[in-house]
Order: sequence, then structure tokens, then C-alpha cells
Amino acid sequence: MRLVFAGAGASRGMALGRARLEQPSRFLIDERPLGEDEVDAELERLRLAIEAAREELQQLRRKLHGSTAREVAEFLDAHSLMLADRELTAGIYELIRKGRHRASAAVKMQRDRLVGIFEAMDDPYLRSRKEDIDHVIGRVQASLLRESSAEERRLAARVGEILVSDTVAPSELLPLAEHGVLGVVLTSGSSFSHSAILARSLRLPMIVAAHAALSAVHDDDLLLIDGESGEVVVHPTAQDLARYRNWQRETAQRSKQLALLRDTDTRTRDGVAITLHANAEAPTDVAQARTLGAAGIGLYRTEFLFLQRRELPGEEEQFLAYRDLVLGMQGRPVTIRTLDLGADKSDASGLVLDAEENPALGVRGVRLSLRLPQLLAIQLRAILRASAYGPVRVLVPMVSAAAEIESVRRMLAECARDLRSAGHEVAHNVELGAMVEVPAAALALGGMIHLVDFVAIGTNDLVQYTLAVDRNNDHLAHLYDPLHPAVLKLIAHTIHTAHRHGRRATLCGEMAGNRRYTALLLALGLTDFSMHPGLLLEVRETINGLDHATLRRHAAALLRAPTRERIARVLQRLGLPD
Amino acid sequence: MLEREITISNRLGLHARASAKLVQALHGFEASASIACRGKEVNAKSIMGVMMLAAGPGTAVTLRTDGPEAEQAMQAMLDLFERKFDEGE
Repeated sequence: MRLVFAGAGASRGMALGRARLEQPSRFLIDERPLGEDEVDAELERLRLAIEAAREELQQLRRKLHGSTAREVAEFLDAHSLMLADRELTAGIYELIRKGRHRASAAVKMQRDRLVGIFEAMDDPYLRSRKEDIDHVIGRVQASLLRESSAEERRLAARVGEILVSDTVAPSELLPLAEHGVLGVVLTSGSSFSHSAILARSLRLPMIVAAHAALSAVHDDDLLLIDGESGEVVVHPTAQDLARYRNWQRETAQRSKQLALLRDTDTRTRDGVAITLHANAEAPTDVAQARTLGAAGIGLYRTEFLFLQRRELPGEEEQFLAYRDLVLGMQGRPVTIRTLDLGADKSDASGLVLDAEENPALGVRGVRLSLRLPQLLAIQLRAILRASAYGPVRVLVPMVSAAAEIESVRRMLAECARDLRSAGHEVAHNVELGAMVEVPAAALALGGMIHLVDFVAIGTNDLVQYTLAVDRNNDHLAHLYDPLHPAVLKLIAHTIHTAHRHGRRATLCGEMAGNRRYTALLLALGLTDFSMHPGLLLEVRETINGLDHATLRRHAAALLRAPTRERIARVLQRLGLPD
Repeated sequence: MLEREITISNRLGLHARASAKLVQALHGFEASASIACRGKEVNAKSIMGVMMLAAGPGTAVTLRTDGPEAEQAMQAMLDLFERKFDEGE
């Protein structure tokens, strides 16, 4: 009998498979005491299980991709540290050695003790973080179980199944996906949970808050789930299955279509060439950018060279990193942004900065570089030396005054002269550009455009500074709006000013990679985008389907619109999603 | 031995990720480090210890370091607290 119920879509994609129900208490605990001669072997089993659990966390960390990877990695690091902490493990060994408990029972006792401490905490958020204990403990239990053949059978049976459970730990998701689980339906959870973030990262369809799931579904029921709409169909009919086959066909076709776009130009329907660059910081980004046909690296963030370490990177280390980047891009231009740190982001050991009342408005970006000219000179020298290996451009963050650009340009010229007289090869024309992310820079761009060779619009900060909204403040999330008319006017003005003076303007914030904004940005005159490489093909596809002339004709109407609703209406009239 | 009082001012207090950052920041320093509040003192180099302290936002804590690199270790801790654990970056 067909039955439909709904949860909330947490990770896109459809899946068709047999249901496998997991009740909240997942692990069978062997309570029989150990014989004296079994203790050493049991201690070793536990040690190996903890080691395996840590190794799995490391593997999981390496498989993350997408914009949420960093956040998930922080959790995995925390869990990995917990597994290495004697305060967690010593008690378990003790329970085996002295209490003669089997490893799984000892692990559970330690878990109950620790969770008890968490449950007594006053702070509601900290109290809820007993979740972390459960994730870590669950991982150790799973690796203890995995040795037994029963567990292997359990996992083998997972091929083609959809997991239905109350909750799933992030650490369980990767092995589930690897063992062929097709999707996950949870009775609780939210699409902001770590598991949901990870599921999206792994491209595993997931539905959360499907409250009816555990009571309405039975083991081996055939399920069809849609991770976009949140719909769960139990015992799907022929019609449902047709819908699923349709979706499969479309998806296969879409990825084939997108793959076809790898080596094509980005051109609007009426033939206007648009340039798509990739943002990058890791070597994998660079490889992806190249294979997906990015025109170059539009924003290379150098902060990672400076963070999480106790000494500043020297010229040689930076040079090697930049040179490899340039070589990796095989002649396509690479835009390297100079250090963009402030008091809120600086690392304890590499750079010691004074604490500031208001770091967003403090010594950050180029302001920091100019306060520490030695630091900037080392970076500029390293970039200039890399320019001998391929086209390189220098991008200066957080510019608000013309004098800042003049200072950097002077230093760039001095560094180039010094390097040449020391016998280093340096390209003749290393272009210098300014980030436009402070409203002042956008408004007064006409007065400094002659000082730069190009500009890059950093929308993440531009929105924050224009609207005076901290983008990390949850209470203000509704005010952080890239479609605010003030933001659009600044973006349009920046593009227009740059183009009028024969300079390119690249937009490299989150907006560039979000296809909801693509039409709007084309309408405002943007011709250069820079985004996470994983988004390149989607945006290229969107652009290929748009008519540039029509969009440009509506630029004035878009800029006149007083609210985001009116902007959305103009876009809708053009037959485009808002 | 060095001792400093500080109030926890990041949004969510010393939860697992923040605790992990503290432990990582102290890694490699030749110094012992502890955090104390409400009469309880824990090893600041142990993530479990720091988490079990249950120090939410607004809690006043005492940081202590001792050893050859006590000063650097203290500075590393203070920096992290002042940067509010880089949360939301």
C-alpha cells in the first residue's frame, strides 16, 4: 500500500532502495566478564579499535569537498583529539584491566559516565554537546564490532539500502556511503546539522525531521526518497518509479551535459564572451580549476601559508608555493592576493597582533601589510620570482584609499628592481589590482582606477560593510542581503568605472558561484567571475542560456528597484528565477 | 608560574571545537597549562578536560601556565580567547 510522508530535504538527490531500520540503541553489548587470560588481548583489541577509529576520521577528512569542508574538518579534528586524549581512554583501559569488562562494555560505561557529566551542565549548548561524546564512542564501538564477521554481513547487506534512523553521527556516514547505502532518512535532525552538511559534501541524499519514519516504515520496505523535496514514498507505485527513472535520466544527462562544458567557451546566447576564473587555496582546487577549464585563478588566498604555525613563512617557502601554483595553471593567469588577515583571524604563533575592539574595522588586509612592510616585501618578492614561470597578478585586499595602492605599487617596483639586480628573473609587467570590498573604494574608485591594472569585487565583505551587518551574527542573518539595492548600486558602479577606464573587474565573492545571481550580475555588466572550481560548470551552463543584450537592457530597472522583492520581480519578468 | 583571569566571550563557550583549538594552540609548548573555574581545575592540553569544565560564555576562568615556555603558552591561550576562537570565520 503506497504511503507518502514528508520530512525536510537536507541533501539533494533521489534514491530508491530497501529500508533498513536502525533503532536508537545500536550496539549489542557483551556483558560477560573476561577471564584472566583474556585481559591482555582485550586491551589490545581496544587499542586497535581506537587506532582504527582515528584512522577513519583522517580518511574522512581527506574526502571532504565543497564549501562546508572546513567546518566539518574542525569537528573531525576535535573528535580525533578526543580519541587521543588519555582522559577519555585511560578510564576504559582501567575498566578492562581492573573491572574485567569486555571492551564494548567498558566503552559504554565510560560513555555513560561522560554523558552524565554533560547532562549536568548548566549551559544548554554545552549540554547538547554530549553529541560529540556519542560520535566518538560510536566510532570506537563500530570499529570494535567490525572485526566480527556478523558486522561484515551487516554491512554487506547495506548495498542498495536506505538507512532509516533517529539520528546518524557524521562519523557513520562515510562508511555507510562506502558500503553502498543509497540514502538516509532521519526522524530528527535539521539540515544545518553536521551530518547534513557532511551528507551534502558526500552527495548522499538525506531527509531529516521525517517524524513518522520509524513507525511507518519496516525493514525491507521499498522506499523512494527525494532529498530535495523531503518526500518519502513507501511502496512506490509504477508512476513513482517512472518519476525516479526520469530523474535518473535527467541527472545522468545533466552531468554529461556539464562534462561537455569542460572545454567550451563561456558565451551568452547572443555571443558575448564571459570569463570564468576559479578561487583557490589548496593544490586540489588548482587541479580542479585546470581540468574544468577555468580561464585562470581569479583569487588565490595566501592566508593558509601563514595560519596554524609558529613561524612566518619565508620568501623561499612562499616562492615555491606560488611557483607551483603558476606551473600548475600551465600559462593561465594567476591572481595572488596578498595577506588578508586581521586581529580576528591572525594566528597565535605566526603573527602576534594587538587585540582590537573592532577587528572588522581594524588593522587588516593591506593595512596590516603596510604596517609590517617587511612582511609585505617578502611576499611581493616571492610573487615576483614566481612571475618568471607564468602570468601572475598581485591583488591587494581591503583597500580604502589611493595612497595604499601607491605604497604597494612603489614596493612592488622596488622589489622587482632589487630582484633583477640580484640576478633573478622577473616578468616585465606584473599587474597590480585592488579588492573593492569597502564601500569607500567602490564609491571613490574613479579617483584611484588609474593606479591599478584591474579590480576584484569581494562581495562577502562589501555586503557586510555596506549594510553594517556582521555576516556571522545569527540575529542579523535576515539583514545580510546581497540583493540590497545599495549593494547592487556599488557593484554596478564598480564594474562600470573599471570598464570605462579599460580595466577588468572580476567578482569573486559567494555571489559569483551562485547561479541565482548569475543573470543579475550579467545585467549589471559583469564579464569576469571567480568562484569555487566545483561551481564553474553550473555557472557556465547558466550563462550559456542567457541573452546578454536583454539582461543589459534591464540593468537600469534592476538598479531602480527599491527592494529585493522588486528586483526579484524584474528578474521574473525576464523569465528567470529570483 | 603565570596566572591570568579571563572571561569567556566567544558565542558558544568551550565546546568541542573551541576546546580542540585550545589544545592545538598549546601543542608543542614546553609548559604545563590549566584552566580553572568554579573550584575545578583541568589540564588545558586535554580536550576532554577542557570540555568537561563546562565553561559557557560569560564564565570567568583562571589560566595557569608553568615551565620553560610558560609565557608563550599563556600568550597562545590569551590570543585564542581574544580572537574568540576564530568562530564564524
